[in-house]
Amino acid sequence: MLTIVARSIIIYIIVLLVFRLMGKRQIGQMQPFELVLTLIIADLATIPMAEVSVPVLHGVIPLLTLSIVHFVLTLLTKKSTIFSRVISGKPVIIINPHGLDYKAMKQLNLTIDDIMAALRNCGYFSISQVQYAIMETSGKVSVLPKAEYSPATNGALELDEQESFVPITLINEGKLMEDNVKFARLDKDKVIEIINQQGAKRIKDVLILTIDKAGEAYIQPIGSEGKSFKTKSLVVEA
Amino acid sequence: MKVFHYINFGIIFLFLVAICVIEDVVVNNSLTQTQYDCFQIERQLERDETLNSMQMALLVDNLEYHWDNNESSLCYLVNHKSIQEIGMEISKIKSYVANNDVEALKVSIETIKYCCHSYLHFMGASVHNIL
Repeated sequence: MLTIVARSIIIYIIVLLVFRLMGKRQIGQMQPFELVLTLIIADLATIPMAEVSVPVLHGVIPLLTLSIVHFVLTLLTKKSTIFSRVISGKPVIIINPHGLDYKAMKQLNLTIDDIMAALRNCGYFSISQVQYAIMETSGKVSVLPKAEYSPATNGALELDEQESFVPITLINEGKLMEDNVKFARLDKDKVIEIINQQGAKRIKDVLILTIDKAGEAYIQPIGSEGKSFKTKSLVVEA
Repeated sequence: MKVFHYINFGIIFLFLVAICVIEDVVVNNSLTQTQYDCFQIERQLERDETLNSMQMALLVDNLEYHWDNNESSLCYLVNHKSIQEIGMEISKIKSYVANNDVEALKVSIETIKYCCHSYLHFMGASVHNIL
């Protein structure tokens, strides 16, 4: 049993490393060759885990070989458009201004139900609302709505809105995020000063403290309600 | 980051090459050694068919000792089930020698030689094996 436990840990770490090397794409964003690779890896990993007579190397070697194959395929798809089209295919327009493209539907083995479900996922419940729908190589559908169904934007409404910035977390569950504090060009004393102004005494009393380039901050002490506030003299380079 | 990626995959590639070479060398050496020990026992049998001689005891001990040493390193590289028959036949040989059962010993030696030969053939890189 101890052998199986040890083997499972080893295989888990190696599979984790292989997936980390593969990148951060999620299942839905995977190219066909990445999906195939994921399925094979899942199957390969279980063999040496359950079968004690099989050396761990018999599971590790195929995993590493597949990671090399994946690396080479990714490299080739980046370098060559033709290779990329062969391996990953190309996006196909399934709805155009004239309606559904029946030929494309046949080519992709899609039914009307599949397309309607994909459109609903994008927030459109009728084909009449859609100008273009494109089936991406990952299998996801991207939709460009007709002008009358496009969401209003600040630009279209000619509103003078300020840019928004990504908030930086300075305190996370009572812990000072040193790197983020440095990134925000602050120091521990300054952070303590900010939380003191908001009624918290110590860093470990704060559940979360975030701040953005414009000085918009949010604090929530542990056991209290969160609140937004404005700070000045905080200029961070995003 | 890109360089780091290349280095990672370079290391993995070198590791794979190293493992392939090590496997080839270790498996070849171990099985060839076992085959050689079997040939030695066969030669001794041709000279003298009695099994309870000092010479024969030494040769069988040699076979067992070498196999024990090689088996531990082979277990890292090959499926234990594929090679366990060799170990079982060696343990049978010990009892055949004690009982002076020449015919059974010959069968066991042939089985070991066959297992070694077939495994050497089975693990080698060839189109047959790949396909």
